[in-house]
Amino acid sequence: MSLCQNRLQEERKQWRRDHPFGFFAKPVRTTQGVLDLKKWECGVPGKDKTLWEGGLFKLDVLFPDEYPTKPPKCKFVPPLFHPNVYPSGTVCLSILNEEEGWKPAITIKQILLGIQDLLNDPNPDSPAQADAYNLFKRDRQAYEKKVKAIVKDNPAP
Amino acid sequence: MGRDRFAKQSLGYLYPRIKQSRILMVGAGGIGCELLKNLVLTGFGEIHIVDLDTIDLSNLNRQFLFRQEHIKKSKALVAKESAAKFNPHIKLEAHHANIKDPQFNIEWFQSFALIFNALDNLDARRHVNKMCLAADVALIESGTTGFNGQVQPIIKGKTECYDCSTKEVPKSFPVCTIRSTPSQPIHCIVWAKSYLFTELFGTSEEETPEFDHSEDSENAKEIENLRQESQALNSIRQSMGSDDLARKVFDKVFKDDINRLRSMEDMWKTRKQPNALDFDGVSKGASGTKPSVAQHDQKAWTVAENFTVFCDSLRRLSTRLQTSQARSEADTAAPVLMFDKDDEDTLDFVAASANLRSIVFGIESKSKFDIKQMAGNIIPAIATTNAITASLCVMQAFKVMRGDLDKAKMVFLERSAARVINSDTLKPPNPNCNVCGVMSSTLILDPDRATLKDLVEDILKTQLGYGDEFSINNEVGTLYDPDLDDNLSKKFSDLGVKADSFLTVIDDDEDDPRVNLSFAILEKTLPADTKAVQLPKKLDIARKPKHAPAPLTNGDTNGHVTTSPVGTKRKRSLEEPESGLQQGHKRGKIHMPSKAIGFQDDGLVIADDSNDGAIVIDD
Repeated sequence: MSLCQNRLQEERKQWRRDHPFGFFAKPVRTTQGVLDLKKWECGVPGKDKTLWEGGLFKLDVLFPDEYPTKPPKCKFVPPLFHPNVYPSGTVCLSILNEEEGWKPAITIKQILLGIQDLLNDPNPDSPAQADAYNLFKRDRQAYEKKVKAIVKDNPAP
Repeated sequence: MGRDRFAKQSLGYLYPRIKQSRILMVGAGGIGCELLKNLVLTGFGEIHIVDLDTIDLSNLNRQFLFRQEHIKKSKALVAKESAAKFNPHIKLEAHHANIKDPQFNIEWFQSFALIFNALDNLDARRHVNKMCLAADVALIESGTTGFNGQVQPIIKGKTECYDCSTKEVPKSFPVCTIRSTPSQPIHCIVWAKSYLFTELFGTSEEETPEFDHSEDSENAKEIENLRQESQALNSIRQSMGSDDLARKVFDKVFKDDINRLRSMEDMWKTRKQPNALDFDGVSKGASGTKPSVAQHDQKAWTVAENFTVFCDSLRRLSTRLQTSQARSEADTAAPVLMFDKDDEDTLDFVAASANLRSIVFGIESKSKFDIKQMAGNIIPAIATTNAITASLCVMQAFKVMRGDLDKAKMVFLERSAARVINSDTLKPPNPNCNVCGVMSSTLILDPDRATLKDLVEDILKTQLGYGDEFSINNEVGTLYDPDLDDNLSKKFSDLGVKADSFLTVIDDDEDDPRVNLSFAILEKTLPADTKAVQLPKKLDIARKPKHAPAPLTNGDTNGHVTTSPVGTKRKRSLEEPESGLQQGHKRGKIHMPSKAIGFQDDGLVIADDSNDGAIVIDD
């Protein structure tokens, strides 16, 4: 069994035993019913007492063969209106970047918590989509109105 | 005088065994050609060669068993034909196939006395390593890159396996650097090859499924906008073949996208802002440039030259894509083009696009020749390095065959170090290794009636005493764990578990988990009144080492963690002679390889073992 699979198996075990409230993370099933550990469907809730409170945002987390040496790719499905999310939905976050903050010891739980933090605390130094970034910079009121509408459309159960 | 006189003289008692040995060589490329020549001339009795590749023009400078007329033919078959002429007394067999094919099962691996890896990729190396461990056959692993080479003998339970140490993988570039903030020519080359080319001609990675949002909310519009932006190139594909294709692509990637990036001001506080290009403006300046400038591959092209090659190669590629689309059946997947460094059209497009992007971002342009190297990940391969490495493989093989594991070495070939050839004693297995630190067994199952439940209940819980916390996994993923019990009633075939594949049982017991248990599947019709899943013999599974990292001792311990079936003692130390062979060795006073290549046999300590984790690659 490869290092990648072994580690993902361990991640799944840890997540099964304990995970933060309001989040979900599960490997997808193949047509034969086997769990494909390299592709997880996850959900990140907006933090309480922030603009994003009450929302639940779905993302796919894709693990490369070289995981955990290389970080997984996290992609909001559908793409999310947010300064640090690419139009394709891919999240731009330093801990997911091999040359910046990624360390093999970072767990799925830490990644999802990191993405939750990013929602309300965008990083204006590395914008990934122009729409959300420019609204965030130039018209904070309109930005907040938009985020609220997005939360309404993606309610937590 | 017989052709084997000198081999007999220098190898002594080992020679008759070599003549009778049946061995396997995986890979017939750079190292493989050299190695096969050595093996054939040494006189190994039967040699099997496996390689899935065909011969390419660029192989001929160093893979000397191949000639011009062999291009596009199977490497394995041609290597066999060419090498057979060196020694008529041996039997050669070639397999033009992937070593991962199911025909090469454990039983087949077991039929060899020794296996040589002469591969160019991590994946196949790992596979052969795993199969050799399961079959308990010694493996001589080797690799080269540029002036560096490496040879590592791997013997189950006695030495480290290929996966006992982590291998470095080449760094990939972060998506932000490639898509928004390139600063080096390579960033633009990767963008042109992996993003622009793929989005236009290949299988898009950006495909985001269509969303059905019944309510017409603002969010739905927003998502639609984002989707359209990420799909923009993809929709340009619709105009493939039309006259304004070049303008559309150019405006999208060198104007609109750049202006969008410019609008995100904070990004350019610490970086140089990109400058968009204008199609008409550049086009005017390029009116006198001929597309044949693409043949000048040693100089960096001007803006006008890049523009001309961009438009011309785009036209060539879109014509090709349209031709194959017209030819393909309606029900097959839409045809795509793949980047290939030796495909002139794709290389021209990538070179010109990369340079135009470099110009936009104020980065230095590169010549087509340089871009070919960078985009094609060309690793310099040197015939001499391969030849020396292949000879070191054979030297190590002799020691392994004699059972002289204390003399066998991990050998490095380096140009930068004080000595060209350095070596290190073989380390004992890493007890925490996922690959060799496991218990292996066969699992016999009746394909017509065995279900996953039979394995979980009869074998694991009842016979082997597992608790509730464990999981069963295969190459694809997890079949069973405590939260995944709806596969239990399925037959193994319905779960995609085939004969000769592997299942791994991971014990998740909190206190004292067992080491991973690796089953090789053997399908067999079993009598109806017996269990549908059976073990060939009783298993005694060791527990995982406690978390303190295992001390690496000086080779005087062995891998007692690599459990073996009860009854077969594997507790032999590296020094212990194997069935008197060592005595024979002393008697014969054979003192060979090391002297011949100029260093002391024992006691050579290397100061630098930094190569340990490097992957070395040759094609």
